[in-house]
Amino acid sequence: MSLSRRRFAGILLGSGAALAAAGLPRGSAGGEGEASLVVQAVSPLLRRAGDDIPATAAREFLDRAMLALTGKGGRGQAWGSLFSPSETVGVKLSCLPGPRLSSSRALTAAIVEGLLAAGLPRRNIIVWERSSRELENAGYRISRSGLRTMGTDELPGGGYDGPVTESGSVGTIFSRIMDEVDALVSVPVLKDHDLAGVSISLKNMYGAIFNPNKFHANRCDPFVADLCRHPQVRGKLRLSVCDASRVQAHNGPAYFPRYAAEYGGLLVSRDPVALDFCGWAIVDGLRRGMGLPSLAASGREPSYIRTAGGMGLGQADGRRIRRLEL
Amino acid sequence: MKRRAFLTRAGGAALAAPLLLRPAGSAAAAPQPRGREAAYYEKLPDQKVVCRLCPHQCQVADLERGTCGVRENRGGTYYTLVYGQPCAVHVDPVEKKPLFHYYPGSQAYSLATAGCNFTCRFCQNWEISQRRPEQVRWIDMPPADVVRRARAGGCRLVAHTYGEPVIFFEYMRDCAALGREQGVPNVMISNGFIEKAPMRELCRHLGAVKIDLKAFTETFYAEQCGGRLKPVLDTLLTVRAEGTWLEVVVLLIPGLNDGREEIERMCRWLVRELGRDVPLHFSRFVPTFMMKNIPPTPPATLHGARRIAMDAGVRFCYVGNLLSDAEHTFCPACGKVLLRRLMYSVENAGLKDGRCRFCGEEIPGVFS
Ligand code: SF4
Repeated sequence: MSLSRRRFAGILLGSGAALAAAGLPRGSAGGEGEASLVVQAVSPLLRRAGDDIPATAAREFLDRAMLALTGKGGRGQAWGSLFSPSETVGVKLSCLPGPRLSSSRALTAAIVEGLLAAGLPRRNIIVWERSSRELENAGYRISRSGLRTMGTDELPGGGYDGPVTESGSVGTIFSRIMDEVDALVSVPVLKDHDLAGVSISLKNMYGAIFNPNKFHANRCDPFVADLCRHPQVRGKLRLSVCDASRVQAHNGPAYFPRYAAEYGGLLVSRDPVALDFCGWAIVDGLRRGMGLPSLAASGREPSYIRTAGGMGLGQADGRRIRRLEL
Repeated sequence: MKRRAFLTRAGGAALAAPLLLRPAGSAAAAPQPRGREAAYYEKLPDQKVVCRLCPHQCQVADLERGTCGVRENRGGTYYTLVYGQPCAVHVDPVEKKPLFHYYPGSQAYSLATAGCNFTCRFCQNWEISQRRPEQVRWIDMPPADVVRRARAGGCRLVAHTYGEPVIFFEYMRDCAALGREQGVPNVMISNGFIEKAPMRELCRHLGAVKIDLKAFTETFYAEQCGGRLKPVLDTLLTVRAEGTWLEVVVLLIPGLNDGREEIERMCRWLVRELGRDVPLHFSRFVPTFMMKNIPPTPPATLHGARRIAMDAGVRFCYVGNLLSDAEHTFCPACGKVLLRRLMYSVENAGLKDGRCRFCGEEIPGVFS
């Protein structure tokens, strides 16, 4: 199913009709000149109880966000407008920091429910990270068949036996999982990153390559953008679902309770650049509340987000991002 | 070494590529790299660290790794993930390193771990150097095993090579210290991108050092290697000052670092700062990794560079990765061939007790 392309004048969308028009065609994340929609929810219900979001809240808010994002009337339709049953979809999690700050299991389960509702067979869904160890540390159970939940390192040859490929400043080998999937859902956790400024949807793609340690100079700029304009990413990253239930506002990417905010947030967008831009604003807002300088004032402005916008990967201009608060 | 005795002990195996242990398979089968506290780092507030091993000086937050990919911050303590865990092990002739004035004709027990602090687009060993420890198969081989295996295999020395030994500093240092005690000298085959203090510590234990001088411009280092030239020059000075045997290799890449003016400047610097006796090797580039669109270096370029070096005063200059007379060691005084090389075989044609048998000229190096 594809949706027609529409232009918007930067209005804040509120009505169902307006929401319906917010959808972009499959494969588009909002090019230059187009406005992008980022759906945001902030609710005490989305705060982590223990180390996870309550399952009902995760499902309910994600459903609402997807309806708002796609303008569809039901879960199956909403997810079906982005993913078709014949496709294989990778759900790329972010699990480096362990259970306290990894992609919520409840949110991941809700994403999987959405994909199933769109008619995807279970075997066409891969929930994945760099390594199975990271997934297990974050509380996920490894499954190697059916609906797979696994690290790249489960694959023969360590999962990085493909060709060397280049995209601007980035030379790398992608995870074989990237070859297998037709589409990607990026499920980052909203967090500060000591070198990059923030690590959200775009930087989550560092987990898809074999040599991420090579690309942290200059606040990851332009490396993140160069990686994300590679056809393997740009052609597949169709949806970003950012877990902002607990936000690490400083001293990330590890979990430091002192600088972690129980924010209770969720951000969903088809445009990873716009989503990152909004996430950056949230991190800066939380920092302000903690009496910390902004990322820019700390010399850690995540300029790769603007670079990605400049490359046409999405919107990094606040005037062209429509934030819809649920 | 007896005159006219070809030393080909390694036979065909010596000419093969280094044995890369199988790549990591499944998580179930591939053991996770262990950690051992790293040397040369400082703790910072908020569980951060700064690594002082190489000039990158990576500042690393908790759970993150440095540029080399083999050092990890775990809760404010910095760990090397490759200590005693080589992923490539092989027996090579020392000429393959290349070291031409250090026990010529001998065998080197050669090893590497995953990782490198550079990202050379032309790396011949990128399958080792650009991978992280968990992406390769490695074996447990503590320093005592390295020295024991070297001796058992009839190897005169141990070579830390293939990838970048700087990033497995602690392992190399301990192997070298033990090897020195037991009469099996260790050599380091390196890009030279290391801080002065760790390099000086290594020099106390190493028998020889070979440095790859990638080019003589900062631009090349930045664009092609992800590094810097100046610290490498500083390392050359340090090794020379410490008195450790030193040889220099320059891989000439057409159109990138083979300009006459650049080679002249480089050779003048080498002669001025290191003296005339440090052997210099110009090596032939072959397309690989991320540099497949550039043809191999023409022989004329390599021989031309050698001529420039000798005109600048370098007394021992070689051409590598190419069969030619420029592999031989000539007496700089009388011009006679002293060591005749063919591939990795060496014939002693006129060297006796470190001198030219024909005219008595002293030949610098470590020969016996
Ligand atoms: S050795 Fe590795 S971690 Fe240390 S400064 Fe160099 S690249 Fe960074």
